[in-house]
Amino acid sequence: MGKYHVAVDVGGTFTDVYAFNDSSKETIVAKTPSVPSNPEIGILNGIKKANISGDEIKFFSHGTTVGTNALIERKLPKTILVTTKGFRDVAEIRRGNKADLWDAYNDVAPPYISRRNRMEINERTDYAGNILIDVDENEVRELARIIRKKEAESIAICLINSYVNGENERIVKEILQEELPNVYICISSEILPEIFEHERMSTTIINAVLGPKVNTYMKNLQGGMKEKGYNGNILVLHSGGGVMTSETVPRFAARIASSGIAAGAIASKYIANLCGFQNAIGLDMGGTSADISLMYEGNLTITKDWYIEYGYPIGFPSIQIQTIGAGGGSIAWIDEGGSLRNGPHSAGAVPGPACYSQGGDQPTNTDANLILGRLGSRVLDGNMELNVEESKKAIKNLCEAFDYSEYEAACAILKVANANMCDALRLISINQGYDPREFALVAFGGAGPLHGAYLAKEMGIPNIIIPAHPGVTAALGCTLVDVTHDISKTYVANVKDVRIEEIEKEFSLMEEEAIKLLKEDNVEKENMHLVRYIEMRYVGQWRSLSTTVTRPLTSLEDTINIFHKEHERVYAYSSNDQEIEIYGLRVQAIGHVPKPEFVEEKPNGDLKDALKEKRDVYFEEAEGFVQTPIYSRPNIPVQSIIKGPAVVEQIDSTIVIPPNFEARIDNYRNIILSWKGGNN
Amino acid sequence: MKTLNQTKLDPVTFEVLKNAFINLADQMSDQLLRTCYSFTIYNRDFSSALCDAEGNTVVQGTQDIAVHVGTLHFTAKAVIEDFKDDIHPGDVFLINDPYQGGTHFNDVRVIRPVFYENKLIAFMQVNGHWPDVGGASPGSFDVTAKEHYGEGIRIPPLRLWNKGKYLKDVANMLVSNMRVPEERLGDFRAQVESTKAAEIRLIGLVGKYGLDTVLAAFEEVQNYVERMAKSKISNLPNGTWETVDYIDMDPEQEERLIPIKIKMTIQGDKIHYDLSGSHPYIGCFLNSGFGSSFAALVGGTKAFFPDIPLNSGFYRVLETELPEGSVVNAPHPIAVTGFCSGSYEKIMNAVFELWSNLMPERAIACSFNMEYFLVGGWDKRKGYNNYFMWYDWMAGGHGGRNGRDGSNAISSIFGVGMTIQPCEGQERLTPVVTTKHEIITDSGGPGEYRGGCGVEKGGTLTNVGDSLMSYCSDRSRSITWGIFGGLPSYPHGAWINPGKDDEQFLGTVFSNLKVKEGDSFIRPSAGGGGLGDPLKRSSQLVLEDVMDDYVSIERAKKDYGVVIIEIDAEKDEYEIDYNETELTRAYIRQNRKKWLKEDMKIVYEKYQKGDIDKLDLIRQYGVIIDFSTGKLLETSTQQFREMLQERAASYW
Repeated sequence: MGKYHVAVDVGGTFTDVYAFNDSSKETIVAKTPSVPSNPEIGILNGIKKANISGDEIKFFSHGTTVGTNALIERKLPKTILVTTKGFRDVAEIRRGNKADLWDAYNDVAPPYISRRNRMEINERTDYAGNILIDVDENEVRELARIIRKKEAESIAICLINSYVNGENERIVKEILQEELPNVYICISSEILPEIFEHERMSTTIINAVLGPKVNTYMKNLQGGMKEKGYNGNILVLHSGGGVMTSETVPRFAARIASSGIAAGAIASKYIANLCGFQNAIGLDMGGTSADISLMYEGNLTITKDWYIEYGYPIGFPSIQIQTIGAGGGSIAWIDEGGSLRNGPHSAGAVPGPACYSQGGDQPTNTDANLILGRLGSRVLDGNMELNVEESKKAIKNLCEAFDYSEYEAACAILKVANANMCDALRLISINQGYDPREFALVAFGGAGPLHGAYLAKEMGIPNIIIPAHPGVTAALGCTLVDVTHDISKTYVANVKDVRIEEIEKEFSLMEEEAIKLLKEDNVEKENMHLVRYIEMRYVGQWRSLSTTVTRPLTSLEDTINIFHKEHERVYAYSSNDQEIEIYGLRVQAIGHVPKPEFVEEKPNGDLKDALKEKRDVYFEEAEGFVQTPIYSRPNIPVQSIIKGPAVVEQIDSTIVIPPNFEARIDNYRNIILSWKGGNN
Repeated sequence: MKTLNQTKLDPVTFEVLKNAFINLADQMSDQLLRTCYSFTIYNRDFSSALCDAEGNTVVQGTQDIAVHVGTLHFTAKAVIEDFKDDIHPGDVFLINDPYQGGTHFNDVRVIRPVFYENKLIAFMQVNGHWPDVGGASPGSFDVTAKEHYGEGIRIPPLRLWNKGKYLKDVANMLVSNMRVPEERLGDFRAQVESTKAAEIRLIGLVGKYGLDTVLAAFEEVQNYVERMAKSKISNLPNGTWETVDYIDMDPEQEERLIPIKIKMTIQGDKIHYDLSGSHPYIGCFLNSGFGSSFAALVGGTKAFFPDIPLNSGFYRVLETELPEGSVVNAPHPIAVTGFCSGSYEKIMNAVFELWSNLMPERAIACSFNMEYFLVGGWDKRKGYNNYFMWYDWMAGGHGGRNGRDGSNAISSIFGVGMTIQPCEGQERLTPVVTTKHEIITDSGGPGEYRGGCGVEKGGTLTNVGDSLMSYCSDRSRSITWGIFGGLPSYPHGAWINPGKDDEQFLGTVFSNLKVKEGDSFIRPSAGGGGLGDPLKRSSQLVLEDVMDDYVSIERAKKDYGVVIIEIDAEKDEYEIDYNETELTRAYIRQNRKKWLKEDMKIVYEKYQKGDIDKLDLIRQYGVIIDFSTGKLLETSTQQFREMLQERAASYW
């Protein structure tokens, strides 16, 4: 048995490896370039770079962009949609809406399955689940003949009203699978038995187009890992914040359509917990964008309104992530109305910020941070040189337009960037009824720690947590998750007419299904854990709120009270005399997997030894440049206190501690910043 | 560059407050979307705005529906005018009056004045489309209405909260005149609470930045948009452009298309729209009031400047002439509820066409017409015994574009953020079984860049009692047109019991048709018009269209002159016959101008004999018939042919 928990986060540019040694409690971190054409090679390279052999691995988990890239690049296997007669174009009509309301030239992406591959059969189930037209076996066999001719690799079956009764779908699948044994087939009543044909069909289609692809990927990775000597489970993170094994991944391929994005949120939840916070906002700010998540009372917020490309929803519950185009490389510019803007355009990796001296001539956030001395001119442990003169050249236009000094212009750039991020923070917090003053901000990613303090102050957030390894925090997140599956079902009933036994029966059936999935994932019985949720709304409303209920279910009274309270919290009103209806049921199946156990360090050494140098750093609040101590993070002893202004540097990030902020290094090497007035 | 920055605020404060205002308006929209009761609002038929103390719009929601754009300031101003000094903290007003700048009665606006230290500083406004506001027809869409009195309840500026006290009796009086009153109260409450949330946020901003700064920002955000718009317009050539579009008919008059004329003049940094010469208001509810006509001009213009935010600063660069008493400025009490299918869409598409000449890189041909379908009555299914109201609209095709086909099957230009309702939801709420919801082959207008395809929805009513069906659309005669040589698409209009003995074309406007269990119906929506000469379309693209059945092999030949041979349809194997294609294209090129001038009576005879079909009639001969009676419409044909001459033949 190995000793390492190995987690890999495969990003667009880099593959990050985070490994935790269970016996020595040490951490190994490695970064290698991603190999988009063969992502498993990038992973194997990364593990090699971390100097870990297969038989030393105890537990392997990862987040991948295989699904996301396949969808965006449309490198998909030939897939057929089979649906009810008259409905093949639902996949193209969608809900008819566009993301860009005003630009007639900015189109929604085309459907994943083109019209020529969308086929129909004459069958029908009504709203109550009665079968109006039976499946005609001969018609389906004839369809199989054509599909064989088309040489399709995958089939999505989605029939109208199958969320109430999936019988016709099951019959069609059985016949097609018999005729086409090597074709991947999935049906909507198994994938997501929920009302609304477009959302269910879209989820089923995405599942079908990704199924064969993901299957191959998992097999290759498994093979590669076996060769390295690892024979355990290959776990993959899904958007709901859990992992699946290679047994269940191909069946619910759409769940890993955006596997990587949840990792950062999970890590920030874990770290906030470790630091003693139940409410936290995670900010993962990289080069081009920032991903924001929220944890309330220990749980990350979940959404079902989620997609990779606008117009094609994936209906599985997913961790809610607010993404905005604000990163280190975001460009500051002046629009035609004379307003100073920041992003969403980014200088990207090439040419990169002006200070990279690779031909970038637009000022970016990184340039502004460099001009102000917040970033040192040598980064990546001295492996990269930043050229401040190029930054100053790039910022000239802004100085002229607004009559600013270079420093004023740089401050203005950062303030606008911070304001944009605060607007995104508001969307996920205040706009949904959460008061940021009750939260901690977990700031990570390469650029997060440069901005975190200012964002927190603007939002009234009292504490900022900077994880020990900000640049690979997302990878860390992959080691911290359990196997999870979500089984959901549309179930509509007024609470006053509802029979508890009936709901209990529905839940039991769903739990049977859940346990079956966990068994397939090799989860031992004692590690299984089931959580029930009911979605409710006031009769007549269109959106519902989700609350947990007990197992077994004995009464709805508590649930109803929680619903009123939750409605009050989110929308600032509730009404006890309004009728409530149940709208959906969900069971979350959790299979606990072992996690790294981080140990607390004891103070050792002197903060003075961590002092690298002093340099001039510009702080507007101090009205100019201040001689500021620069610390090297690995050398800072735990339990140190650093008063701002100060800057802390490490290989994967730079942390700014502004004047009036104080930093405390906890026993897990997290840095916790607080500011005067923040705790009032 | 230097001269551009003219704000009273420093650039950072300005940018921060501008974004905070947008965020605040979106917050109102977001909350309404999550708490609303009616499916119309749930499917995004609503809008939100922050208006200044004079009622001018500072910002409106970024995802809000196009049709409300340009009207929210009118209704805020109407409240100010009616109540003047009698506006107090804790007041909330309601208004839905199209004769005071609203759109139609269903668009009910909640307006909350915001005070800071007893000074009125702003208004929060949330406008939601209520599915019913009373009147003779379920859904309050009475196409036979000539005056508004029977249509629904008209709400001039009305106080519903008085200094923090809810006026329950007034609210009850209002909703008692509407179908499903509890749902109406639910929407009302959701709208009121949304404005409340925005008020709290604005007060927070004032607390942080100071009142003077926030008030200055209200003004500067409008100045900013004005500056941005003027700078763009100044770069355009001065000149005048004219066009005309048509509503199908005035049901009170002899057959003839009803012209809406638009003359656009660009002079320096201003845009002037003159709609003089447009037809007097007509005898059905497709007229529009001045508010919605203004909205159409704003929306049409904005589409060519997608990156300019909308607020009252934008309205400052527009000068408009909307002749009183006309179909684009109908006075009280003339019915205007159907404006969205009538004048509004005509103005907007015509404005698109004018700008397409000016900015060919953003050109777009005419898009399908908004359509509303309503069935109301008793749901007699097992376990149900309630009044139901089914209110539906469809996606359709948008116009062909420069270098790109029009979009297939998307929401109407009336509001592309509006969502199409799911059939499964409808089948739960309504005794209907949907028989199809699909793209119509050959519905896209032919062009070098094809119009997007339209959609057809059909259904059969099951256990209904005492039920009535109404429909509000247009363009069964003034068929969705192409530009720069492109051709028209496909006629709108609903059919009842298609394929049965009692099959009947019901047209695009009818109301209160009695329907019973077992009745079936279909409604096609048009595709978009084509852009450019269809004979110049790449034959490869026509082949792709045939593979996807967007275009049939038959019409590939007739509309595009492209001859395609089927090898094995099951394997998507087809071939282009290049020789035949060349010959066919030459033949069409030689004759098509002649066809458009052929004696309409002779053409009509050919159609009656079955020698030519409906689409030949429209696209090749420009002949318009009444599909319910099968009669030739001579005047309409003449007008339609003149239109085709202008928009298509003159480019060939």
